Amino acid sequence: MDLTLILTSSTLLTLTILLTPIILPLLSNSSKNTPTTITNTVKTSFLVSLIPMTIHLYSGTEGLTYLWEWKFLMNFKIPISLKMDFYSLTFFPIALFVSWSILQFATWYMASDPHITKFFTYLLLFLITMLILIIANNLFILFIGWEGVGIMSFLLISWWHGRAEANTAAIQAVLYNRIGDIGLIFCMAWLAYTMNTWEMQQLSSTHQIPTLPLLGLVLAATGKSAQFGLHPWLPAAMEGPTPVSALLHSSTMVVAGIFLLIRTNPLFNNNQTILTLCLCLGALSTLFAATCALTQNDIKKIIAFSTSSQLGLMMVAIGLNLPELAFLHISTHAFFKAMLFLCSGSIIHNLNGEQDIRKMGGLQKMLPTTTSCLTIGNLALMGTPFLAGFYSKDQIIESLNTSYLNSWALLLTLLATSFTAVYTIRMTTLVQSGFVRIPPLTPMNENNPAVINPITRLALGSIMAGMLITSYIPPTKTPPTTMPLNIKITALLVTALGIILALELSKMAQTLIIKKQNPLHNFSTSLGYFNPLTHRFNVTHIMTGSQTIASHLMDLSWYKLLGPEGLASSQLAATKLATSLHSGSIKAYLGSFALSILIMIISTY
Amino acid sequence: PQAKLIFTLSLLLGTTITISSNHWVMAWAGLEINTLAILPLISKSHHPRAIEAATKYFLTQATASALVLFSSMNNAWYTGQWDITQLTHPMSCLILTSALAMKLGLAPFHFWFPEVLQGSSLTTGLLLSTAMKFPPITLLYMTSHSLNPTILTYMAIISTALGGWMGLNQTQTRKILAFSSITHLGWMTIIVSYSPKLTLLNFYLYILMTTATFLALNTIKATKLSTLMTTWAKTPSLNAMLLLTLLSLAGLPPLTGFLPKWLIIQELTKQDMSLAATTISLLSLLGLFFYLRLAYCATITLPPHTTNHMKQ
Repeated sequence: MDLTLILTSSTLLTLTILLTPIILPLLSNSSKNTPTTITNTVKTSFLVSLIPMTIHLYSGTEGLTYLWEWKFLMNFKIPISLKMDFYSLTFFPIALFVSWSILQFATWYMASDPHITKFFTYLLLFLITMLILIIANNLFILFIGWEGVGIMSFLLISWWHGRAEANTAAIQAVLYNRIGDIGLIFCMAWLAYTMNTWEMQQLSSTHQIPTLPLLGLVLAATGKSAQFGLHPWLPAAMEGPTPVSALLHSSTMVVAGIFLLIRTNPLFNNNQTILTLCLCLGALSTLFAATCALTQNDIKKIIAFSTSSQLGLMMVAIGLNLPELAFLHISTHAFFKAMLFLCSGSIIHNLNGEQDIRKMGGLQKMLPTTTSCLTIGNLALMGTPFLAGFYSKDQIIESLNTSYLNSWALLLTLLATSFTAVYTIRMTTLVQSGFVRIPPLTPMNENNPAVINPITRLALGSIMAGMLITSYIPPTKTPPTTMPLNIKITALLVTALGIILALELSKMAQTLIIKKQNPLHNFSTSLGYFNPLTHRFNVTHIMTGSQTIASHLMDLSWYKLLGPEGLASSQLAATKLATSLHSGSIKAYLGSFALSILIMIISTY
Repeated sequence: PQAKLIFTLSLLLGTTITISSNHWVMAWAGLEINTLAILPLISKSHHPRAIEAATKYFLTQATASALVLFSSMNNAWYTGQWDITQLTHPMSCLILTSALAMKLGLAPFHFWFPEVLQGSSLTTGLLLSTAMKFPPITLLYMTSHSLNPTILTYMAIISTALGGWMGLNQTQTRKILAFSSITHLGWMTIIVSYSPKLTLLNFYLYILMTTATFLALNTIKATKLSTLMTTWAKTPSLNAMLLLTLLSLAGLPPLTGFLPKWLIIQELTKQDMSLAATTISLLSLLGLFFYLRLAYCATITLPPHTTNHMKQ
C-alpha cells in the first residue's frame, strides 16, 4: 500500500472536514450550523488526523504536496505547497484534540450567548488558519495563516465588544502583532530578492545569510509570541472569553511565532548572533513574565503570564539550537495550559463571574473535579517528574546547564523556573485551599458533562502526552547523557525551593493586613512599568514630532519662505524696486541713457 | 480733418522711406519724418499730460535719430560708404545698437515709453506701438549681422525682466500694454543675431495681437483696470475675445502667441544659449501674471464681486 498517498490524502481530508461547516451553509439554505455540529466536526477531524500521525510514527513517511501554482512573476512562482513532516503531523492531532475539548467546553460556557454559532464559527476559522500555518511549506502560505490567526484573534478578543477594555485589548493585540509582521515581511522580501524562493526546502543556508533578515524573523516571533518588548498584548488579551484564551493564547496562536523559528531553523543554525539573541530574549521574557505573575490577583492573568513565561522558555530552547525540544514543549504545554484555562473558566462561571483569587478559596470541597484537574495542570506546569511538563521542561533546563552559553541567561531561566513554582502554588493555595472567601449564596455545580469531559480528557493528556510523544520521536541531537547529580536535579531543586518559599509566604499572608508598599512589589504589580512607559512616551513623541513637521516644515518653511508665498514676496520686492526707478523726470532718463551708452562703449573696449 | 490726413500720410511716407532705403541718410530722413508727424497726433488732446508725453517723445527720439546719424557718419568716415548692410566699424555698430534700442524702447533705454503711451489716446498709442516700431525693426533686421550679440542678449533679458516686474504694479491699461511691448521687444532682440526671420515673425504676430488688444480697449474705452471690470455688461463678446487675445499675448499654447516664443527658444537652444532661453522664458512668466490679471478682471469676474462665485 502506498503509505505516502494515504498520508497525504488523510491530512487533506482533515482540513476538508474542518472546512465543511463553513462551506455547507453557503451552498444550501437548509443546513445550519449549531455548536454541537461544529464540535463534532472537530472531533471527527481529530480522529482522522490520528491516521497520518500514526503512519508517520510507524514508518517515518513524510509528504509534500503541491497544489495549484500562482505564477506571480515570470520566474517567481508561488505554489500552494503543504509539508507533512514530523512537526505538522504531530501538531495536527494535538491541536485538534485541544480544540475539540475547548469547543465542547464552550458549548457550556457560552450557552447563554445569543450569537453562540458565530462564536463557534470564529473559533473554527481560527483553527483552520492555524493549521494552514502549521502545514505550510512556503512562507507565503505561512503568512496567510499568520495573518489569519491575527485577524481571528482580534475578532475573538473583542467578542464582548460593548466593553471598552475589550476593544482596547484587541487593538493592542493587532498593533503588536503588526509590528512583528514588519519583521516577517522584511525577511520574506529579502528572501524573494536574493534567493528567489519562499520554499522551506530551498531555504537552507549554503552561505552565510546576513543577520538582518534573520532579525526580521526574530522580530516576528517577538510580536506573535509576546516576547519581552512586544509583550503587553498577551495579558490584555484576557478580556476575551475563556475558550478564546484557552485556544488562542495558550496553545496555538502564541506558538505560531516559535513555530516560525522552528521551521526556519536551517537559516540561522550557524548564526551565533541570532542564537544568542533568541537565548537572551527568551530568558528575559521568562523572568519578566514570571515576576509579573507573582503579584497578579486575576486568575486569568496569572495563567496568561505563565503562558508568556513558558513561551520565553521555548525561545530559550531555540536559542540553544534545539528546535525539537522547543516543539516538544509546545506540544506538552498545549495540553496543560488549555486545561488550566478551562478549569479557571469553570471556576469563574460557577462563581458568577468572579475572577479575583482573593475572593476565592476552599473550592476543593465544592468543585472537586475541577480543582483536582487544576492541581494536575499546575504540577505539570511546574515540571513535576513524569507529568507532561517534565519531559520537555527538564530536558530544556538540562541542556541549558550543560551547554556553553551565557551564564546570565542560565541564571534568569533558573530563577524563572522557581518563580513559576511560586506563583503556581500561590494560585493553587488561594483558589482551592484555605478559608472560603466567596459570597455565601453561590450556586455551583459541575455536573454538566460538557464541562467535565473536556477537562478530564485534557488532564489525561497532560499526564500521558509527555511520555507518549517522547517515546516516539527520534532524537536528532544527542541529548546530554552524563552530568553531575547536582546539574541533573537543578530543575527539581529550584522548583522545590519555590514551593517551599511559596508555602512559607502564604502562611505569612493568612492575616488580612494591608501590606506596606515596597518598590519590588510595585514593580511586579505594575507589570514592570513597561506599559505606561512605552505606550505614552513613544506615542507622544511621534505625534508631536509629526505635528511639528506638518506645521513648521510644511506650512511655515516650504509654503511661506521658499515656495509660493516666497516667490510672491520676492517678486513684490523686485517690482517695488523697479517702480521706484521710473521717476518720470526726463533728465534722469536722458542721464541713464548716456550712462548706458558709456558703459556699453567701455565694456567692449 | 486735413491735418489728420497730412499727418497720416506723412507717417506712411516716413515709414516707407526708411523701409526701402539703402543709404543711411534716407533712413535717417524717414525716421525724422515719422517723429515729426506723430508729435501732433500725440498732443492732439490739449491735456498737460499729453503735452508732456509729446515732449518726452520728441527728446528721446531726437536723441536716437542723432545717434543713428552719428553712427552712420562714423562708419562712412572709416569705411567710405553709406550702405546700411555694410556697417563694419565696431564703434558705429555699438552706437547704432543703442540708438535703435532708444527708438524701439528696449531696456535700459525704455523709460520714455510707458509715460508716452500713457499720455496719448488709445489709438495713438496703437500707432506708437506698432507703426512706429516698424522702421527701427527693419533697420535692426538689415544690420543684424553686424551688431554685438552679447549686448543684444543682455538688453533683451533686462527688457523682459523690467517689463515683467514693472507691469505687475500697474493699474493703467496703457502702461500695462507699454510694458508688454517692452517684453515682446526683448523676445525679438534676443534672436535677431541668430535668425532675423524669427524677429520679423515675432514682430508681425505682435503687431497683430497688440492691434487687436488696443482696438478692443478703444471700443470699450477702458483705460483703467477698474473700467475693465465693468465692461462685461456692455460688450460681452468683445470681452471674451479680449480674454483670448490677452492670453495669446502671454504666449500660451495653443494660441498664436506661443509660436514665436517656441521657435525662439528652439533657435536659442540650437545656438547653445540654453541659459538665456531659460531665463527669458522664466521672466515672461511675470508677464503672464499681469495678462491673467487683466483677463481675470475683464472676463472672469463680475463686479462688485472679486471672485467667481454666484453668492456671497
